[in-house]
Amino acid sequence: MKKIQLLLPFLFISFLLQAQEKYTISGYVKSASTGEELIGATVAARAISVGTSANVYGFYSLTLEKGTYEITYSFIGYEEITKNIVLDDNKQLNVELAEQVNELEVVEIDGERDEANIKSVEMSVNKIDSKTIKKIPALLGEADVIKSVLLLPGVSTVGEGSTGFNVRGGGIDQNLVLLDEAPVYNSSHLFGFFSVFNPDAVKNVKLIKGGIAPEYGGRLSSILDIRMKEGNKKEFTGSGGVGAIFSRLSLEGPIKKDKASFLIAGRRSYADILARPFLNDNLSGSRFYFYDLTAKVNYEIDPKNRLFLSGYFGRDVFGSGFLFNWGNATGTARWNHIFNDKLFMNLTAFYSDYDYAFGVEGDGEDDFDWSSSIVSYSVKPDFSYYINNNNTLKFGGQSIYYNFKPAVAEFISDGQTNSLSLPEKFGIENGLYIQNERQIGSRISLLYGIRWSHFAFLGEGAKQVYRDTIPGIRKDLESSTEFDQNEVIADYNNFEPRLSIKYDVDEFSSVKASFNRMSQYLHLISNTVASTPVDLWLPTTNNLEPQIADQVAVGYFRNFSKNKYEASVELFAKDFQNQIDYIDNADIFFNEQLEGDLLSGDGRAFGIELFVKKRTGPLTGWVSYTLSRSERQVEGINRGDWYPTRFDRTHNLSVVGSYEYNPKWSFSANFVYSSGTPATFPTNRYEIQGVILPHNIDQARNNYRIPAYHRLDISATLTPQNREDKKIKGEWVFSVYNVYNRRNPFSIFFDQNENNPQVTEAIRFAVVGSFVPAVSYNFTF
Amino acid sequence: MKKFIYIFFLALTFSACEDVIDVDLDQGESQLVIDAFVTNDSTVQTIRLTKSADYFLNAPTPAATNAQVSIVGPNSLIYNFVSDQTGNYLYDPNTTGALDSIGYPYKLEVLYDGRTYTSISILNPVPTIDSISQSFEEEELGSEEGYYTQFWARDFPGREDFYWIKAFKNGKPIDTVDNSNLILSQDAAFSGNAADGFAFILPIRAAITNEEEPFEVGDESSVELLSLNAEVFEFLEQLTIQANNGGLFSTPPANIRSNIKDASGNSQDEVLGVFSMSAISRASETITAE
Repeated sequence: MKKIQLLLPFLFISFLLQAQEKYTISGYVKSASTGEELIGATVAARAISVGTSANVYGFYSLTLEKGTYEITYSFIGYEEITKNIVLDDNKQLNVELAEQVNELEVVEIDGERDEANIKSVEMSVNKIDSKTIKKIPALLGEADVIKSVLLLPGVSTVGEGSTGFNVRGGGIDQNLVLLDEAPVYNSSHLFGFFSVFNPDAVKNVKLIKGGIAPEYGGRLSSILDIRMKEGNKKEFTGSGGVGAIFSRLSLEGPIKKDKASFLIAGRRSYADILARPFLNDNLSGSRFYFYDLTAKVNYEIDPKNRLFLSGYFGRDVFGSGFLFNWGNATGTARWNHIFNDKLFMNLTAFYSDYDYAFGVEGDGEDDFDWSSSIVSYSVKPDFSYYINNNNTLKFGGQSIYYNFKPAVAEFISDGQTNSLSLPEKFGIENGLYIQNERQIGSRISLLYGIRWSHFAFLGEGAKQVYRDTIPGIRKDLESSTEFDQNEVIADYNNFEPRLSIKYDVDEFSSVKASFNRMSQYLHLISNTVASTPVDLWLPTTNNLEPQIADQVAVGYFRNFSKNKYEASVELFAKDFQNQIDYIDNADIFFNEQLEGDLLSGDGRAFGIELFVKKRTGPLTGWVSYTLSRSERQVEGINRGDWYPTRFDRTHNLSVVGSYEYNPKWSFSANFVYSSGTPATFPTNRYEIQGVILPHNIDQARNNYRIPAYHRLDISATLTPQNREDKKIKGEWVFSVYNVYNRRNPFSIFFDQNENNPQVTEAIRFAVVGSFVPAVSYNFTF
Repeated sequence: MKKFIYIFFLALTFSACEDVIDVDLDQGESQLVIDAFVTNDSTVQTIRLTKSADYFLNAPTPAATNAQVSIVGPNSLIYNFVSDQTGNYLYDPNTTGALDSIGYPYKLEVLYDGRTYTSISILNPVPTIDSISQSFEEEELGSEEGYYTQFWARDFPGREDFYWIKAFKNGKPIDTVDNSNLILSQDAAFSGNAADGFAFILPIRAAITNEEEPFEVGDESSVELLSLNAEVFEFLEQLTIQANNGGLFSTPPANIRSNIKDASGNSQDEVLGVFSMSAISRASETITAE
């Protein structure tokens, strides 16, 4: 570690010495039709084989020796433009590219420059754009960001209908899900059947599983970076749809042409509205719906300053007599500032809140209300310094202040009120990073850097100390010391070195390798198979240490047929520390001494991922196969031996295909196969008060596997060919989920027979037990 | 509480399904099981001793008949429970008297197969049930039309109490499936010191009606309120979870720790089951037309 710290300044200084007479051309690359920035657009002086790509805000900076150049701006799906540039001074040039017209030819699925798979130093990264997400056949025809991510290599889930996803052996809380840079703590509607991101508002989605750059931190296993559209700067447009679950509407347009635009997108489920006429008076009081609203405005103050404001608000509401709701709210403000041709800054400030509440519909005499929340506030400056064409330096930092309210509850019983709450918890997470992406010669690229992260568990609160006991048994509280507001109760520092290397084998292939250390200071406390909306997020404390993971990945990347096909093979190995588990029968729901019920252990995961993607043409799609293992070792569980995690799936195959038959019809299908997840089965039974209880005499965890999961979904899209001048364009999507009607087991559990309680049975629980057809209608205007 | 959430989830799962499948399980060694729930009643008290068996035995587990079972009360008074050779060990309070010293830590002693197992349970007080009220309710999501009852009792203020509420319809338990959905209460609420000294809060107070089969005119709704020790409350909470642990939000199946220990102090998990002393109070009400 020390060595790396010493080495870094030298590496950064070395390229500052190569000064010659050089000038920089910089600016933004945008779409001519909508004004949206084109993330990753290529800017190249082809004659001398020098190029760069636009960053996530569409900004590029290219430094060349004094001279005259033909500079080509290109982006897949757009007509390329070549500009003749006399570079005798630093220049600023914003370029707009026109969309290609022949739609069949330009179908592409990742919004990525052609050679990115092999040329970029990034590895273990998958990108999907919203067009692709919308093509994948989905449950009830609802295009879904998270469900699309599940089809990527290295990603698994405990089962259908569960919230979140697992990346390379990591828990669902180890994914940093960012919506316009604000973290989303619970990404699901309806317990996990749908995710909270409205595909109409999403621009693109990037999943980073390994080789994670120092600019990212805070979670162990992945970054899911979701970027919202900016809103059309040229004209007013809208889109929407009517489906089996949601109806959607989004509007976007210029506030001030080419300067400012807005986007607003909303969805609401309407099972309740459809059902209402069929329910009698009493049932009509019941509520079950969910909605989300996404809004964004951006304003180009001047060529050097741009401002973005975006927000998300969504909520699920269920109840009849007993009410339950949960949801996220996020708000992000960003300021892009260009200091000069080489120095770009993005300053983000965000607010993110997740909360849930439930209670009975009381009458004043009798009532019961409960709520819980996690709120975070953050400031995050990020700088990109385009030193020269071989070095791009990024540095920045982040501070996040957290406020946890585990429970605020009030009871009224027979007119008597009592409120009780678990104490609030506070914490601050800080990070500083520096990284350089360096090109060495024509074949080698390096991305190296380090992130320093720090977490302080702050007052006002108590430092609880627990007595040691036999692992697996509840720890008793030994002492509790009160701390004042903002007093540090416990704090931790971690240095996280990161390194990625790419070597071009030839024009069509490269090998890459990476190492990353990640640390995580937030923990999702959940001991159920699928996470529930009432699961708590807790900070690192004096008892709960930060989670740490080290990952090594190597891969071979190759493109075929003029970048029409991309292929990769990656191997990864991961080592986890301070993984949370729970004592048997832990009480995690309302427990002031929760930490006495928590266990800590190690984890490991390793695997191989194969990925082949066809990016362009009438037929697009991918095949992804992962062979992996994910395990934990925790004293007090499984006699202290290693055991597979609940989401360990040995084989995991996804085949995703989409075929544009003609302008009127297109077809899509996907097939998934994955090994059954591990489960704990009993060995014995015994009887207490007439109840038959299961017992496992070996105290084993996850000693069996449930049967494999496989499923085929298909869809057909009909786009009626209207007259050219008609502004509203529509399409019908017909889909069938789980075509061959398989009852995929989510779990197997054991219970007494209803008619003969002496008979015990193994019961297969399938979340979706039949095929699910759906029709939806989408439109744009 | 999770149960409520689960019910709403079930109501929404359009096509979820459960079916019985064949599974081969490992077989484990048999262990002694002690099912000792004793009350301060003056009726015959029963402690049941059995042996654990293969999970798919599908018949009553074998009885453990050759044990010596007794409870030690105040002044070293020994209450002997006599084997009836079917696994039940019986004590008739008309002989030495009821086990009714409130606040006393009674001690269970079981001698079986050359080993002695012991456990201590305090007989905690129980509040009286003031009344049972009734009202007619129309059909709602998840509950049928009929008469619903509530019991009215007040938790003791200033102390931490644990209760088990048993509900009956015409003398039979209302949970007609497997009796594993126990109604438990810490003070007058679910958990935590939330409702110390309160009347039992609404969901608990009203839990004595089976929503699928509410009462009809002429039915009798009756309630037994039993005091518990903290460890027994926890045991029964875990029993409820482990006996109903299916579906999306199930927790990893876990063994339930017994409060009965080998007297020699070693081998933690050698015996299964629980010893509980409870004081009991009762009430019942016949449903009449409104």
